[in-house]
Amino acid sequence: MADLALRLSGVTKRFGGLVAVDDVTIDFPGGQLNAIIGPNGAGKTTLFNLITGETPADAGRIEFAGKDIARLKPHEIVRRGVSRTLQIKSVFGGLTVVDNIRAAVLTHRRIMAPFRLVSSFASVSARTDELIEEVGLTGHHQTLASALSYGDVALLEMALALAAEPKLLLLDEPICGMGPQETERAVAMIKRIAKRVDVILIEHDMEVVFDIADFIMVMAQGGILATGTATEIASNLDVQEAYLGSPEDELAC
Amino acid sequence: MTLARARLICLAVFVLALLAVPYVLPAFGATFWVNIVAEILIWSLLAASVNLLLGFTGLLSFGQALYFGFGMYGVALSINNWDVGFLPALVIGIAAASAMAFVTGIFAVRLTWHYFAIITVVFSLIFYFAAMSTKWLTGGDDGLSFSPPPVIEIGDFSLTLADTTAQYYVILVIVAVAFALKALVVNSPLGLNFKAVRENDRRAALIGINVFRTRLAAFVIAGALAGTSGALFAFFGRYASASYMFYHVSGEAIVWAVVGGSGALLGPLFGTGALIVFRELASNFWENYLLAVGAITILVVMFAPRGIAGAWNDMLLALTARGGRSATTAIATAEPAGDAPDHAPTRSNADG
Repeated sequence: MADLALRLSGVTKRFGGLVAVDDVTIDFPGGQLNAIIGPNGAGKTTLFNLITGETPADAGRIEFAGKDIARLKPHEIVRRGVSRTLQIKSVFGGLTVVDNIRAAVLTHRRIMAPFRLVSSFASVSARTDELIEEVGLTGHHQTLASALSYGDVALLEMALALAAEPKLLLLDEPICGMGPQETERAVAMIKRIAKRVDVILIEHDMEVVFDIADFIMVMAQGGILATGTATEIASNLDVQEAYLGSPEDELAC
Repeated sequence: MTLARARLICLAVFVLALLAVPYVLPAFGATFWVNIVAEILIWSLLAASVNLLLGFTGLLSFGQALYFGFGMYGVALSINNWDVGFLPALVIGIAAASAMAFVTGIFAVRLTWHYFAIITVVFSLIFYFAAMSTKWLTGGDDGLSFSPPPVIEIGDFSLTLADTTAQYYVILVIVAVAFALKALVVNSPLGLNFKAVRENDRRAALIGINVFRTRLAAFVIAGALAGTSGALFAFFGRYASASYMFYHVSGEAIVWAVVGGSGALLGPLFGTGALIVFRELASNFWENYLLAVGAITILVVMFAPRGIAGAWNDMLLALTARGGRSATTAIATAEPAGDAPDHAPTRSNADG
C-alpha cells in the first residue's frame, strides 16, 4: 500500500444546474480505512461514480497510483486496481455463486479462450474457491445468486470486487439494510480487508464509521465540509450543524 | 440416474434419430419429409443466432435476416463469378455475414433493448432495399440461381447435393459442427462474459469486462451462425434472393428461438422444428395458420417462458430428482432462464 490511496484535485460534476460534486480536492491517505459521510444528496455516490469512470467528470484530476484516471472507462479503471461495491447490491443474479466469482477472476486474468471450458482452468478454480472462503460463502458454490439472502449477496459482491485484486476498494454503504448479526460480520470483514487494501467507505451508520474509520471526509452539497479523525469530526461544529439540520439523515440509507 | 447422464442419453438418442432420417422417413413413404428436416436444420441455425444474442447475451436483434442474406449471396455470387468450390463458397458466405455483423455491430451494440432492436431492423431494411434495387448484382426479388459445385470430388468419386440423402448428411454435419462450436463458446470464459453482460452490464464493467467488445463478439458470432444458415439455404435452394433479407424472416427466427427456449443451447432446433412441422401440416388446409403461430408464441411466453427446451429440462429434472439427487444442485446445473422472454411477447406476436 502506498502512502497515498487517491488524490482528487478540482473534481467537479454538474447535472444541469445542479453541482453534484463541487471542486473537490483531497488526498486520501493510504494504508488505512477512509470514510466519506454526509447527508443524503451530498454527492458521495456521485463522487464514487466519477472515480470509477461510470460518470465522466466535468473537470478535475483523479490521480491513482501516480496517473490521472479521470478519462478512462470503468473496465480500464478496474484493471488499474480500483474496485467498488454499489449501494444497491449488484451481482449476476442468474448465475451461480461460483460462476459469478469465476467470471471476475477470469476477467482479471484476461482469459477469454472461446473454445475451452470455464471449469478447465485449475488456478482460476482455486482462486475462486479461495474468494468464496474468504467472504464466508462456503457451501453456497452452486446457489444461484438471486436465491441468496441479502447479507450473502453483499458478501458475494465483495468477493467480485476482491477478485480484481484491487489496490483501492470503494465501498458504497456496505452494511446498509443489514441486520445486527450481518452487520457485525461485514464490519469484521471490512476491517480485515483494510489491513491489506486501501479502503474508502461511504456509510450512514455513524457508530460504525466512528468505530472503524481512521480518516473521515464529510461532504455536504457537493463540497467538502470537514476532514479529520473520528474525534476531530465528532467535535466539529459545522458537521454537527449539517447533521442536526436534518436529523433523519442518519437513519436513511 | 443423474441429470447430466439423462441429458447425455437424450442427446445421443436425438442425434441417432437425426442420422436415421434419410432411411426411416422414406420407409414410411414420407421421402418429402427428409427435405423438411433438412430445412429445419438449416433454419435452426438462424434461430440459434437469435438464441445466442437473446438468451445468452441479452440482446434482441430484429435484423438477423441481413446476415442470413449475406451468407446466401456470399455463396451465390462467389460460385457465379469466381467459380469456386463448395467449401470456399461456404466459407465466403460465412465470412461475408460475419464481416457485415462486425461493421453493423460496431454501431448497434452500443445500444440495448428497444434501441438495439430498432437499429438492427434499420440496418437490415437498408440492405434489403439496396439488394432489391441492385438487380444487376443480386437479382432482386427474383433472386440469383446457380448450380452448386460438388461437395467433395476426389478422382472418380464425387459427393453432390443432387442426391437428397447426401445433401441431408452434408447439411446435418455442418449444422452439428455449428451447434457444437456454439456450445463450446457458450461454456467458455467468453461465454461466461456473455452471460455476465446479460445479467448485469454495470457489474460486468465493474469486474473489468469490456462490455462493448463482449457484445460485439457475441454479435459477430451470431452473424456467423446466421450466415452459415443462409449459405446452407442457398445451397439447398440453389439460389439466393433479396426477399430473404426482409425483416419478416428475422421475426420468424425470433419466434422460433423464443418458442424453443432462448436460454437453452438446443432450444432453437426444437422451436424451429416444432413450428416448421406445424407450418407444413397446417398451411395445407388453413392459409392463415400464422395466427395460430402467434397464439402459440403468446402461450409459450406466458406459461413456459423458457420455451420447449425449458419445459423439457424441468421434466428431466423432475424425473431424475426422484433418483436421489438433491434438488438445489440439479437446479443450478440447468441453464438459467434468460431475462429475455419477458421482453419478447409484444414483438414476437406482432409478427405472428
